[in-house]
Amino acid sequence: MGNTIELDQVSKAFDGKTVIDSLSAAFEDGEFVAILGPSGCGKSTMLNMIAGLERVSAGRILIGGAQVQDSPPKDRGCAMVFQNYALYPHMAVRDNIGYALKVAGVPKLERERRIVEAARIVELGDYLDRRPSALSGGQRQRVAIARAIVREPKVLLFDEPLSNLDAKLRHGMRMELSQLHRRIGATSIFVTHDQIEAMTLADRVMLLNAGRIEQFATPHDLYHRPATTFVAGFIGAPPMNLMAVEGDGATLCLPDGTVLAHHAHRGPVTLGIRPEKIATGRGALTAKLLYREDLGSHSSLLVRLPGGQTIQIASPFGTEIGALDEIRFDFPADQIHLFDQKTGHRADT
Amino acid sequence: MIETNGGINRTASIILIAGIIFILSPLAIALLVATQSYEDFVAAGGISLIPGRHLIDNIAHIALETNLPRQVLSSIIIATSVSAIKCAFAFTATFALVFFDCRWSKLIFALTIATVMLPLELIVVTTYQVVANVAMPFNWLVDLTGLGFLMERLGGVAPHLEWNLLDTYVGIAAPIATSSTSVFIYRQFFLSLPRDLPRAAAMDGAGPIRFLIDILLPLSKTPLIATFIFWFIGGWTSYLWPLVAASSSDMQPAIVGLSRLATSEQDRIPEVPMLMAGALFVSFLPVVLIAVMQRRIVKGLNLSEK
Repeated sequence: MGNTIELDQVSKAFDGKTVIDSLSAAFEDGEFVAILGPSGCGKSTMLNMIAGLERVSAGRILIGGAQVQDSPPKDRGCAMVFQNYALYPHMAVRDNIGYALKVAGVPKLERERRIVEAARIVELGDYLDRRPSALSGGQRQRVAIARAIVREPKVLLFDEPLSNLDAKLRHGMRMELSQLHRRIGATSIFVTHDQIEAMTLADRVMLLNAGRIEQFATPHDLYHRPATTFVAGFIGAPPMNLMAVEGDGATLCLPDGTVLAHHAHRGPVTLGIRPEKIATGRGALTAKLLYREDLGSHSSLLVRLPGGQTIQIASPFGTEIGALDEIRFDFPADQIHLFDQKTGHRADT
Repeated sequence: MIETNGGINRTASIILIAGIIFILSPLAIALLVATQSYEDFVAAGGISLIPGRHLIDNIAHIALETNLPRQVLSSIIIATSVSAIKCAFAFTATFALVFFDCRWSKLIFALTIATVMLPLELIVVTTYQVVANVAMPFNWLVDLTGLGFLMERLGGVAPHLEWNLLDTYVGIAAPIATSSTSVFIYRQFFLSLPRDLPRAAAMDGAGPIRFLIDILLPLSKTPLIATFIFWFIGGWTSYLWPLVAASSSDMQPAIVGLSRLATSEQDRIPEVPMLMAGALFVSFLPVVLIAVMQRRIVKGLNLSEK
């Protein structure tokens, strides 16, 4: 079975309020999965349930094929990196890293060898005798990671580990985490609210909303084939444009009759298109420019359609804007996404 | 902003000096009186501020002729036990209140705090009865349940236990060794610790007891030391209960012994110089303790170290 993780109909309720609602998913051995979602979607609760810090209200959790939902954290083979590092302030780096081994009764020599090895992996070899208070944020983060990997866990859990670092450090740590994962090979779960972290680090991303999985797929699929309007609106900056249209079997029209695209769909539907997939400078559609930001690599335009809807367009830098701030554009037929208006689910499978 | 106005500095200094004189003058008077002989004192017709030459004699008399040195030892034992019991109970109680999710923890905390409202003086008679026979609640329970009656019928004797703790260190220390004030202090300190700390310890495989010993106890060193000294001095100066509970001179703490010095003989003018020398003798240890530890006390009660 390896180090697979399986969630089977897992639910969690706090004081009668459901946080995770009968959630099932499987994580493969050695996979790097990001759990992404807005605050309060239950992503940290899920991580805590896998770690054993929180009890499940119902359902089963299997790690490596064995049921662990009733086991204490130490028997699950999980290690965790906390958002605020949660290092032991009164212990030197060496003792912080080695505490789990000490509790587990690993002999001193063996312990020392593994501490030094873990510290070497996170490049902290020179800091072993310092207290956490004498380290920078990035170094504390490394201690937290070393503390997690020193036990050679089956599963590595990360609870928003980069959110306390500044932007530059975060980028560096992201790269290191990715390399570390390849080196350690443990199944890793990474909770974040930052979609860039999720998209760049993970093999697969689980997008949670209100305790349910919206989509569990590769970053590529999440971006190019969003399963629901929530995913479409969450992934991407700026997010996908969504508008209610009516299909007559040949064209998709706005309520005022403006033809947006050609498609065989019949009936009301939500049309989605990414700002950067809209072809500008030509085409049958015109709109009035409301606001423009030049970002160097491209321009971000906010335009108003004749019917009054506003949409975002990302166009190549320096796009010509016509007289009276009119802009011509087109929705390429192969770039539009259709979603059911009632359920929000993808309609053009 | 740095205040450069010399006038304000001068005023502040004057106020401070006045305060110091106000606080120190009783001590100075005690010290001066302690240097006088009984004859000087009687001749002067009351407290005089002329230093005498009998300080060493007086102290030597206290140290060699009275039971105060033995009672200082009692004080040390009682104050240490009181303080240790207070800290230990408050620490473990706060640990349970803060780190374990319980529906009733708020209520339990409120009840704990409510015990502050009942001073020992108020229940001293009841406490005396309990300490005179610690088994009393057991006897009461046996009578209440009818078990005593049953056993008297079956075995011929009703069970009645006696366990007198009066005039023992346990009996003197235990009733004054409850403190929910420390629960307050420790609770604030525990809540200031990183929230993920107990969870990190749980992930590292440490159970609650291990977390308490390996993580929480070393981190709480500062508030623990501060409250320990605080309660030590509280135990040292406690008077009413030890006066009631300790009947033999050896078991009495020094504060009670000191009061006995004043009333040795009925018709004599009290030996005030001896009394003052005794006061100096008794307060020597707490003063040294505070002088040595004052920085730690302030630090611990400020909760500044995290």
